[in-house]
Amino acid sequence: MAALRHISQSLLRNFLKTEIRPNPETCSVCIRLLNYSSIDYDDKHDPSPKFFNKEVQSLLKDLTRIDLGKVNKRKRLGSDKLEEPVYQFMTDEELQKATEAAIKKSEELLQIPPVVSVRKPINRVLSEDPALQGLEQSTMVFTDITFGIRDSDRLIVVREPSGILKEAEWDVKNRMNQLYFPKEGRLLKPPKMFFGEYFESLLERKEYEFILDRACLQFEPNDPDYQRVTSITYQHVNDKGGFEMLRSTRHFGALVFFLAWHKNIDNLLLDLIETSYIEEGSKLLDLYSKLHDVNFKSSNDLEKIEEYIKNFAKKKAGLELGVQAYKDVLKQRQELEEGIKVAHGLR
Amino acid sequence: MAGQMLNVSKTFQKLCISSRCKLVATIVNPFKECDAQIITSNSTRNANFFSKPTAQHLWKGITSVSNAGKKRGRGKNVSKSKIKDLNRGQVIGLGKANIIWPGLSAPIIRGKELVQQQQLPEDPEREKKLSQLRDQMGIVKRQKLSPIERGWSGHKMPGRSIGSPDPIGEDTFEGFDTKVLELKTVFNMKGNLGRKRRQSALVVTGNGNGLAGFALAKGSDARIALRKAKNRSAQKLMHVKLFRNHTVCHDFFTQFDTTKIFVYQKPEGYGLICHRAIKTICEVIGIKNMYAKVEGSTNVNKILKAFFLGLLKQKTPEEIAEEKKLHLVELCKENNYFPNVIASPKECRKPEEIPKDEVMDYKQYCFDGRVVLHKKKMPPFYSTYKSYQIYLKKQEKLKNQFKVKTNLIAEYGEIRSFMADKYPECTQYRREKKSEENETEAS
Repeated sequence: MAALRHISQSLLRNFLKTEIRPNPETCSVCIRLLNYSSIDYDDKHDPSPKFFNKEVQSLLKDLTRIDLGKVNKRKRLGSDKLEEPVYQFMTDEELQKATEAAIKKSEELLQIPPVVSVRKPINRVLSEDPALQGLEQSTMVFTDITFGIRDSDRLIVVREPSGILKEAEWDVKNRMNQLYFPKEGRLLKPPKMFFGEYFESLLERKEYEFILDRACLQFEPNDPDYQRVTSITYQHVNDKGGFEMLRSTRHFGALVFFLAWHKNIDNLLLDLIETSYIEEGSKLLDLYSKLHDVNFKSSNDLEKIEEYIKNFAKKKAGLELGVQAYKDVLKQRQELEEGIKVAHGLR
Repeated sequence: MAGQMLNVSKTFQKLCISSRCKLVATIVNPFKECDAQIITSNSTRNANFFSKPTAQHLWKGITSVSNAGKKRGRGKNVSKSKIKDLNRGQVIGLGKANIIWPGLSAPIIRGKELVQQQQLPEDPEREKKLSQLRDQMGIVKRQKLSPIERGWSGHKMPGRSIGSPDPIGEDTFEGFDTKVLELKTVFNMKGNLGRKRRQSALVVTGNGNGLAGFALAKGSDARIALRKAKNRSAQKLMHVKLFRNHTVCHDFFTQFDTTKIFVYQKPEGYGLICHRAIKTICEVIGIKNMYAKVEGSTNVNKILKAFFLGLLKQKTPEEIAEEKKLHLVELCKENNYFPNVIASPKECRKPEEIPKDEVMDYKQYCFDGRVVLHKKKMPPFYSTYKSYQIYLKKQEKLKNQFKVKTNLIAEYGEIRSFMADKYPECTQYRREKKSEENETEAS
């Protein structure tokens, strides 16, 4: 094996010690956030084939309702002063080119973080060598740091003092990857903002985008911590009606997928009806039917929604009221238009 | 007999010369009455030098100098402010001897008793109070200005706000504020009065929303000059174009006489970083973020005029786009360099129509083709020293100290060693609070 092996004994000792320490934060989460429990995508029903389906992706993108101004809104970059803008004179063509390039760039920013099932714990013993028992007092980790290998494919093995050679667990793997190939912004240990009261206070302040951005940076998508943080945030958004805060961000698609997957789209649907986005409501139901293999008979947007309310909705009363209000608004608008036409002498 | 008389006369003489002689007192005792007669036999004068001139007269003598004396430089430390009214704090009937005078300093009848004249023990506070009162006389304490009201320097007027101009009929200048730029004494020669002194005030007024004016006025008094200038400036209002209501429309260069000013547009939160006179003018106009560099004379008058000239010559983005016949686009790092079109012309030029020698750089266009010289900053003199290299090497180990400290505090709540697990006693030393120590001892 053309692998470069690296032993870092002193570093390792510290790592493994912290590993053994019980994690008090996770315990406190269970007690404090009783009303929101983590909902993982378990491996019995893998969501990834449906999520990566092209039609589903396009539906999710449509539901994100991209507003380029909002995508490129002013962001806090961490410095205390704003950067000075650059002014340029542009002809029509140059302006068009620049806008196209910017739109391409914003599409990258809007890439929905992958939705995959939570990873299984690794417990693969490579070899047992009792002869090596007691040779070393500490566990040793061997990392293949060959250039060009993906972090997920990197071979990382652990030799325990008992002489067992086994594949490293996920936590050790992530730490070694971050140690040798650091990703900018990712910390060796997940920050406290994802645990306990700190997480709760962030949710209360409705810093959804901040939480989700940071979670994407810190965790891999199949990490149980990632799924815990994101699922609790999505539930909070759904209950507090913070859809507008996530719209036009990369997280809205993942949020919609989460809600549709867990058959909890009533709040979102009501929000769409109340803001008169009936077309988007119908798209949401398309997504619902794709994920759960349900077919709606009617093709009309409004009728489809009514059918959904009749057969599948959990909050029937609220949704029916919403639909009725929408119909009334439509009627009024029609009457107004006719009145204007009459006033102008067109009829 | 004659001898006796001689003795007696000798003792009288001695008495007259030295009344302190103790021996004499015993001898003289039987003759005490006639002795007094002899001593006070001098003629008394009720009017003397000290009682003739009035207090005013006396004070004048010590607080003023004759014209001739002044020319010779005498009496530099005397002034009228040193005159003290010695009657202040004194009440008839109350004096050094603390005596109760019924009918003067006390009622005649108190209750059912007749008040008697009575000597009380001397009041030591009285003298102190009087002297304190006299010390304070002539010293006028200025009221302390709040930091917001303060001008450029201490108690001086320049930089201070003097309120909105006076209303003219129904036209009130609501929302206007006037600030003083200059207040100085000026002289000119008059035929009969000679050197006549007046106050000259230069003020700028504005509503903080792009409307401003300035004026210079003179008056015999500072207050008069300021009021005149303030009201005159309200008659000379000019409209200044602002960009997004917080800064100048674009960078520009402006000059009046030998004063040259380079003005730069700045983003929000930058503040006003410029000459104090320009800063004051900007505050009045409503410019909140700007950088300006003054080159040449920093005479306030010239700066004011140069800056106003520049402001009035500004073009709005729409005017610039129309003049260039090109789109004006803003690219900002915070917005991912998303092209934000600020202004568009009615008809945009095609690339072929643009001559090759046309200035296409926005900054250079704003400075009218001028290229601003930014001098390269020289490295400090010590950068070539060997000792500095050694210092840098020593500092290297501290480069991440702050980050490490904050991370440790975030993680463990304290600064701790990486060996803390193995050696728990190895912690950062903190002196205990004194109050806690005392409490534990007491308990």
